Amino acid sequence: MMAMHVSAADRPAPARDPWRRRLVASLLYGRNVDRAAKTRGRIALAVFIFALGYAVIAARLVMFAAAPDGHGSRRAIAQDAVATARPDILDRNGEILATDVRTPSLFAEPHRIIDVDEASELLTAVMPDIDAAELRGRLASKRRFVWLKREITPEQRAQIHRLGIPGIGFLPENKRIYPNGAEVSHVLGHVNIDNQGTAGIEKWLDARGLADLHLAGLATDRLQTPVELAVDLRVQHALRDELIAARAKFKAVAAAGVLTDVRTGEIVSMVSEPDYDPNNPREALDPTRINRLTTGVYEMGSTFKALTLAMALDSGKITLKSAFDASHPLQYGKFAIHDFHAQNRVLTVPEIFTYSSNIGTARMALSLGIEHHKWFLRKTGQLERLRTELPESAEPLVPKRWAELNTVTIAFGHGLSVAPLQAVMAISALMNGGHLIPPTFLKRSESEALALATQVIKPETSEKMRYLMRLNVEKGTATKADVKGYYVGGKTGTADKVVGGRYSKTKVLTSFTAVLPADQPRYLLLIMLDEPQATPDTHGFTTSGWNAVPVGGAVIARIAPLLGLEPRFELPPADKLILASAGGR
Amino acid sequence: MMRVLNICVIGALVLAAADVYTIKFESTRQAQRVAKLRLEIRRERDAVASLRAEWAKLDNPARIQALARRHLQLGPLEARQADPLDNLPERPADLVAVEEADPIAAVIANPGALGRPAAGNVPAATR
Repeated sequence: MMAMHVSAADRPAPARDPWRRRLVASLLYGRNVDRAAKTRGRIALAVFIFALGYAVIAARLVMFAAAPDGHGSRRAIAQDAVATARPDILDRNGEILATDVRTPSLFAEPHRIIDVDEASELLTAVMPDIDAAELRGRLASKRRFVWLKREITPEQRAQIHRLGIPGIGFLPENKRIYPNGAEVSHVLGHVNIDNQGTAGIEKWLDARGLADLHLAGLATDRLQTPVELAVDLRVQHALRDELIAARAKFKAVAAAGVLTDVRTGEIVSMVSEPDYDPNNPREALDPTRINRLTTGVYEMGSTFKALTLAMALDSGKITLKSAFDASHPLQYGKFAIHDFHAQNRVLTVPEIFTYSSNIGTARMALSLGIEHHKWFLRKTGQLERLRTELPESAEPLVPKRWAELNTVTIAFGHGLSVAPLQAVMAISALMNGGHLIPPTFLKRSESEALALATQVIKPETSEKMRYLMRLNVEKGTATKADVKGYYVGGKTGTADKVVGGRYSKTKVLTSFTAVLPADQPRYLLLIMLDEPQATPDTHGFTTSGWNAVPVGGAVIARIAPLLGLEPRFELPPADKLILASAGGR
Repeated sequence: MMRVLNICVIGALVLAAADVYTIKFESTRQAQRVAKLRLEIRRERDAVASLRAEWAKLDNPARIQALARRHLQLGPLEARQADPLDNLPERPADLVAVEEADPIAAVIANPGALGRPAAGNVPAATR
């Protein structure tokens, strides 16, 4: 305003009215100032400001041109947010156990639909399995986005696309596929419709940080590094195949088996029949299909005698030559402990093992005392919950008050319920030279395993235990598992099941723990049959030697070549081969 | 003088503008190509993934077992069928020294070499 006024007053009367001019000039510049210099300064300032403005504009232009076009990629991420990708899961040989496949899903934006009736009619014609009333309700709803059907087939997609209904669209989603069906179900677990892991390794993957990645919208690419499990698909199949056959043959409620590498703690195979197809996770809700090896706890029966004997031999107070009186049942208050294969005489330690003498084992544990027994079981991890990668785990059932009677029964595997995988971990330690290694479903090297291991028994004790295991196959309860060429060692277990608070005489849980080869242990196999029935072949017996042991033998004969174990024939018996190398007794 | 300079500057400006435009146009085109290729790569990768899933399904041991039972007379490997390398017989000694330039000519020149005891493990029929 001021400047306008000045110029207006200035130009028409340059000299006529000097006092007014002077007045204005003095107001504007002060009295003794060179106006020309002032003007130049102002012009320079204006030039500078404009130049700065243009420089900023130019710089922004360069930045826009140089920076990548962010718009498209952001849209792609938004599209993928519903389609969270998961890493592939591979077996130890690189076979695919779980992978993602893209499938289209159908959605609607109800505010853009013109004729709800026509749209729902057309859609039900293409997808007859969809609930028409529900579909209509969704299309008529006030929401801005509704899913109509997740995971439609490409043909359906093409048909719906051809209908040309406005307000209907597709989003690609990742669908989890388990190409091997029920084969590896309990290890893998499964995912829900949003591709989030809800059980097994899948849940472990989410807990490991995949869920956070999803929230950040980063886990959209399938370039995530695949997860390699320790499981061998071929061995898993062989084990499962044999267990299904065994379960049918013995009409057992359930059959389970696990194979671990004793040197690394890797679980090479784990099957619990009945299992389920992870492609149809609803089956997993059935309580009979639980994973009995990690989620169930069982009284392991005579299998536990291996632990008792290892404890006794490791204490140094008892040697392989020691003898215990098993000539008459062990009276304990109103309880009497009997032997199944009663010999009614004094038995040496190897005889106690091969005849599976309850009395002898109980006396052995008693001679060492309750505290020693408890200490040993705690050391071998039998009294605490075993945690693996699988989120499902069960707490062992430990007696609240541990009296002498508890030690007596626990010595031969009753009165303490543990998860079978827990027992496998402890017996692996008895075989591999005394290293207790926490089992894992992931690949692990021997040195990594040794770093994690704790020494629970002396290496010499481990040699003696392997001798006993082999002896039991040569002339004990497990002769039916002597697969020629693989030098199998093993311990049987038959536990009476508790039915209605009492031990049942007819319902048993049989198990067989095998180590192969017994002289250079590589693998430990546990076979478990829940309530096997007698068949004509078993002469009415339901003990482990008649069902779990032959199954174990069949499994070993089938999987040993897959595991790359070299068969060796004409090996001397256990007392020559294993004991001699152990340096006598 | 000033006019010539101005004309030159204006000309340069027009040229620069044209050049910037072509660069921008080219970069847009390249960006589109990149986006298209990315999409193609993603599609290919998805296709590979679904093919691999299908392969894994077809390669499933249970399926192979069923097929093998139906169509083949093969059974599972038994321990007796494996033999260690130690049981492999010794390789027969060479008839003629390896370093001989023309081994056949050497045999013809000296047929007695075939009957030499040094021939070792060669079966009698070939001697």
